[in-house]
Amino acid sequence: MPRVNGPLIVQSDKTLLLEVDHEQADECRRVIAPFAELERAPEHIHTYRVTPLGLWNARAAGHDAEQVVDALVQYSRYPVPHALLVDIAETMDRYGRLTLSKHPAHGLVLTTTDRPVLEEVLKSKRIAPLVGARIDPDTVVVHPSERGQIKQTLLKLGWPAEDLAGYVDGEAHPIELLEDGWALRPYQKQAVENFWHGGSGVVVLPCGAGKTLVGAGSMAQAKSTTLILVTNTVSARQWKHELVKRTSLTEDEIGEYSGTRKEIRPVTIATYQVLTTKRKGVYPHLELFDSRDWGLIVYDEVHLLPAPVFKFTADLQARRRLGLTATLVREDGRESDVFSLIGPKRFDAPWKEIEAQGYIAPADCVEVRVNLTDAERLAYATAEAEEKYRFCATTATKRKVTEAIVRRFAGQQVLVIGQYIDQLDELGEHLNAPVIKGETSNAQREKLFDAFREGEISVLVVSKVANFSIDLPEATVAIQVSGTFGSRQEEAQRLGRVLRPKADGHQAHFYSVVARDTIDQDFAAHRQRFLAEQGYAYRIVDADEILAEGAA
Amino acid sequence: MSPEAHSAPRSLAEALRARDDSSLAALLRSRPDLVTPVPTDLTQLATRAGTRASVLRALERLDRFALQTAEALAVAPDPASYDTLLGLMAGDAGDPAVAGALPRALGTLREQALVWGGDDRLRLVRTAREVLAPSPQHPSPTGLGPTVREATSGMSPGRIQEIVTTAGLPSTHDSVSAVAALTALFTHRKKLARLLGQAPEAAREVLSRLVWGPPYGQVTADPAAHLRWLLDRGLLLPTAPGTVVLPREVALHLRAGRAHRAAEPLPPAVTPAATHSARVVDATAAGQAYTALATVEELLKEWDEGGPAVLRAGGLSVRDLKRTAVALDVSEPVAAFWVELAYAAGLIASDGEADERYAATPAYDEWLEQPPAERWVRLAQAWLAATRTPGLVGGRDAKDRTLSALGPGLDRSAAPEVRHRVLSLLAGLGPGAAPDAESVLARLRWERPLRGGRRDDEEDLRSRLARWTLSEAELLGLTGRGALSSHGRALLGAPPAADPGPSTAGAPGAGSSTAGGGHGADAAPADATGTGAPGRPVSGGPGDKLPVHRHRVPDRLAPPSGPEQAVAGAAAARLLAPLLPEPLDHVLLQADLTAVAPGPLRRPLADMLGVLADVESKGGATVYRFTPASVRRALDAGRTAADLHAFLTEHSRTPVPQPLAYLIDDVARRHGRLRVGAASAYVRCDDDALLNEILADKRAAALRLRRLAPTVLAAPADPATLLEGLRAMGYAPAAESAEGDVLIARAHAHRTPPRTAPEPVPEGPPPPDATLLAAAIRAIRAGDLAATTPRKPVGEPLADGELPRTSSAETLATVQAAVLTGDSLWIGYVNAEGAASQRVISPVRVEGGFVTAYDHTADEVRTYPLHRITGVAELAED
Repeated sequence: MPRVNGPLIVQSDKTLLLEVDHEQADECRRVIAPFAELERAPEHIHTYRVTPLGLWNARAAGHDAEQVVDALVQYSRYPVPHALLVDIAETMDRYGRLTLSKHPAHGLVLTTTDRPVLEEVLKSKRIAPLVGARIDPDTVVVHPSERGQIKQTLLKLGWPAEDLAGYVDGEAHPIELLEDGWALRPYQKQAVENFWHGGSGVVVLPCGAGKTLVGAGSMAQAKSTTLILVTNTVSARQWKHELVKRTSLTEDEIGEYSGTRKEIRPVTIATYQVLTTKRKGVYPHLELFDSRDWGLIVYDEVHLLPAPVFKFTADLQARRRLGLTATLVREDGRESDVFSLIGPKRFDAPWKEIEAQGYIAPADCVEVRVNLTDAERLAYATAEAEEKYRFCATTATKRKVTEAIVRRFAGQQVLVIGQYIDQLDELGEHLNAPVIKGETSNAQREKLFDAFREGEISVLVVSKVANFSIDLPEATVAIQVSGTFGSRQEEAQRLGRVLRPKADGHQAHFYSVVARDTIDQDFAAHRQRFLAEQGYAYRIVDADEILAEGAA
Repeated sequence: MSPEAHSAPRSLAEALRARDDSSLAALLRSRPDLVTPVPTDLTQLATRAGTRASVLRALERLDRFALQTAEALAVAPDPASYDTLLGLMAGDAGDPAVAGALPRALGTLREQALVWGGDDRLRLVRTAREVLAPSPQHPSPTGLGPTVREATSGMSPGRIQEIVTTAGLPSTHDSVSAVAALTALFTHRKKLARLLGQAPEAAREVLSRLVWGPPYGQVTADPAAHLRWLLDRGLLLPTAPGTVVLPREVALHLRAGRAHRAAEPLPPAVTPAATHSARVVDATAAGQAYTALATVEELLKEWDEGGPAVLRAGGLSVRDLKRTAVALDVSEPVAAFWVELAYAAGLIASDGEADERYAATPAYDEWLEQPPAERWVRLAQAWLAATRTPGLVGGRDAKDRTLSALGPGLDRSAAPEVRHRVLSLLAGLGPGAAPDAESVLARLRWERPLRGGRRDDEEDLRSRLARWTLSEAELLGLTGRGALSSHGRALLGAPPAADPGPSTAGAPGAGSSTAGGGHGADAAPADATGTGAPGRPVSGGPGDKLPVHRHRVPDRLAPPSGPEQAVAGAAAARLLAPLLPEPLDHVLLQADLTAVAPGPLRRPLADMLGVLADVESKGGATVYRFTPASVRRALDAGRTAADLHAFLTEHSRTPVPQPLAYLIDDVARRHGRLRVGAASAYVRCDDDALLNEILADKRAAALRLRRLAPTVLAAPADPATLLEGLRAMGYAPAAESAEGDVLIARAHAHRTPPRTAPEPVPEGPPPPDATLLAAAIRAIRAGDLAATTPRKPVGEPLADGELPRTSSAETLATVQAAVLTGDSLWIGYVNAEGAASQRVISPVRVEGGFVTAYDHTADEVRTYPLHRITGVAELAED
């Protein structure tokens, strides 16, 4: 029998393997993208996963089970197990049995086309407090403030509701993109379009790929007052700077709502930190959400969304929400909460693809393995379990290796990133470089960052305060000496610091210095997984090579 | 058989005698229980065919229409004519489908000796009539009540006359004629209609509630007017205080003559739910067949070094099943299926050791060597024939014990037949057509209905078996996308699909072939329509000849015999082989430390990769992940780092990524740096020279000393032996404690573990106490009574001490009499061991072949089987 040699292999655990070098690969990727989530994108075979959430999002976007099944059958290299197809059809069939809509008399209502389903969900203890009176056998009133909560709960019960209640437009405010001498890149345009079409959702783009512009583009679509939530004040200033530069907005139209300033303007940029400040058991600043009739809420670095904001976001379901992130991996496994509260993933681009298009710099990732000295090994073996990581991560050998690497890249802009302040202070001393850490004032930070951007200082030692949203386009080398245990997204964010495309187009370097045969090495392996799955191949070298090179 | 030889038979035996050999053979084939043991003559055959057990068994195997026909005969007069039967089945209006199918159904009943007699005098065998006829305890599925005659049997003649006159009939001189007149009225359509026309509306409503059964209703002592109207005219008859019944004749009138609300003359057709192209079906099924092979291999690999332990009651523990399910990455019921499949195919068994475990059998190794298609055939055939049903695993048996996989209690003898039947129904559909599961179940239920209707709370076994068959066939790759594959078809021995369309699947003949024990699939409908036209003359009517003369066509759908199976298996393997994917000899290595095998791998390659990396995802392809632990496993298995590099380079389509190469070297660097061995004792000495001396000494050879370090020797002998040996060589070693101190050995006094002092043993037994003495005396007196009481033998006088002998009838009569009079009897009794004794008993009760009596000899109430009592004698009067 002639066998169709398709690019796709369907696995029994509902992952899809896509052979990248296959001639039909691009075509197939486009067809499966609406319902399958890209999980890993290493060099030869990309892995997609079919999840109920993905299938329901596909339903929400207007795809039906038949299209999904056809796509699998058409591109699959081997016969697709019948059970899997049946399962897909059944899963997709669960979507839309319940709908949330606006009732002219009763406001927000949950209606069903399948009465037993409604009976089933109403029996659930978690649904009961969210709904009001039963209007007729197929309709029940939902408290408007519980719109997000009920959607989230229904999703967990496996009966996702189709939300037809729509969005409020918010207070109109003219915003235009000023595309003078620059333009949105094709993928940014695509992301804005996908987001706007879908209503709310998350856009995943690699660090340095211009997520801010996607935010600006969306604001230009919404043309309404916008609340932007960012991780810290420095990042807030960068957003403001970028918006003033790229859009018709002026300085006066953009407010900053942070620890130091509390401005509420048509476009307001607030930090997560100020929102989650708790005073006398309440969050006094959460009222910011209600202080204006916001038409759009932008969540920068949505993977860091703190729990209280999660909770409050659930109540904002009538407003358009845009989540921006590079790495939607949370070590607490709450990715699905992001999807259910902000919205589904609307756009996702593999890092390597953006790199191939030249919008982010190619990077050379190297893991440097250092040996502990004999004395250190003995001390490490006897250290308390909770002290072990700190001990091996701050070994003295790392300092020597870091110095050697800095020497090797003399003349380039180098960032040294670490977790432990003692270690960073010591490094700063030896490298004769300024250190930015938690206690450094915002003014001081900005001054140092500016000096670094201008090339006045070439080496900067930073703690984890610089993990996110620090725009340092000229940094070409990052040296990571320690991190927050096995955090995958931290690793990706740190790499992101050097991925801004370089003026001369040359390569970025990312060094991760790791102590051999310790838990530092195990954590490093875990940290690298996200990037490895994005196709970043780490080379592993021994510290001796670096040191020998440095000495030579 | 010619009509001349055919005078109306007077009994079933005579009817059987008139049947020819092929017809008798058909009977014995359809009711095999009649031949074991072989009956001596036809009378005995007829008797046996009339026994309750055999009749029940035969009734259970009838299809729904044949059963409905039998039920109709059970409510018809005995004997009944063909026309009467047709009237009951088709109703007054007539139903061509029923009329067409009835001769076949009647033929089936005749063939199975459930009905005999000519078309003018059809008789349902008595036992069947008893089983099927309505009674208050066992309402008939027809929903009909007793006849007027039956319902009035206990009624006073005066009341009957009242009813007759109220119904508008002249009074008669006796009850029998009155009942006959009433029956005649009720069976006369027009007259009864006229009578009912006068009934009040409420009364008609009551009747319409009872008409389709159950026919019984409750009334109060003082019934309402409309009820009284009915009761007065006998349209409702009292059966017990407060209960009334709708007489059968009235019900039949109201039903327009029909015994069943819905006669089902034709088997429900199996309808296709979807139709896929045959190629897609075959490819999907082949893919699944390959998965089946891979899964069984994986299971056996998982259990390779000793599988899970066998539970004491047999089977696999729930935890082991869970573990296996996790290892195979399937749900537990599916894991149970694979385990049972491997067991049914003889690939795993208990090892029979003291601590019993499951393990692969030698047959597994042979199986592994076979080509994949043949391996699959072996599994599929084992599944088809197995009576073990994995679907039951996890459920509970009658004693509420959990049924475990591989454990006892999973055999269901109907399983192979249901499997075969379901797959045959699938084969009857066009190629690529996947059936609607409910229609398959409906068909099976028609072919073998449950007597007494279906309980809704739990699905019957056959339906569950059928559901399991459908899902298991899919797992096994017999079906793809729900439709039977061409290799599956070949395996069944069914002809290749010619696209017969749904009409064949729906033909009545095909359906009854299994249910009725197999008569010709094709002949039946033709025969039936040809001869079964309603209104034919009664004598020589269609029913007479049907079962007896029909030429038998071989039944294609019966499970194939041994040689046929081999042929079918070979054919299936031939069809399957080209569909199975060709094993690959390469993988793709990626920098995230994964390897992807984009298809099944050649076995040596798969084995090696399985050691070197962990499987992360399975399916069409396999994703492997390299971890330090997996690489170490390969090194432990005796590979060197160089081997591994060479292996990866050879089998990778892409260059080996640097992190992977580094990982292997890094693990290899550390591998084996620490060494572990076993020693029981050591010799430690600061003086190297002394240890050299000991090692060089020939006498030390027996101690097998080994130098671990300049100052340490290790020995496999225990410390005491080592000390002895060294002392014998003239050294003065000291023993060392775990802390390194010198142990001082001193001679110890020898002691036993704690012991108690012996009890004194007195001479002779202790004197008995008063209670014991009293009991002993009572026993002695009772024995005395039995031995010395003057007896009055029932039969001839007995010599003294001889056991009484009476015939069993006499024994029974005497014992029964004694129960009534309360007399004591003297009996001879032989116990289960054959020992004879005489006892004096006072019988209390005689039932079921046992006498319950107070035994004076034993001084307690005992039960004696009557057949062990050799005889009885009355005790002489005092």
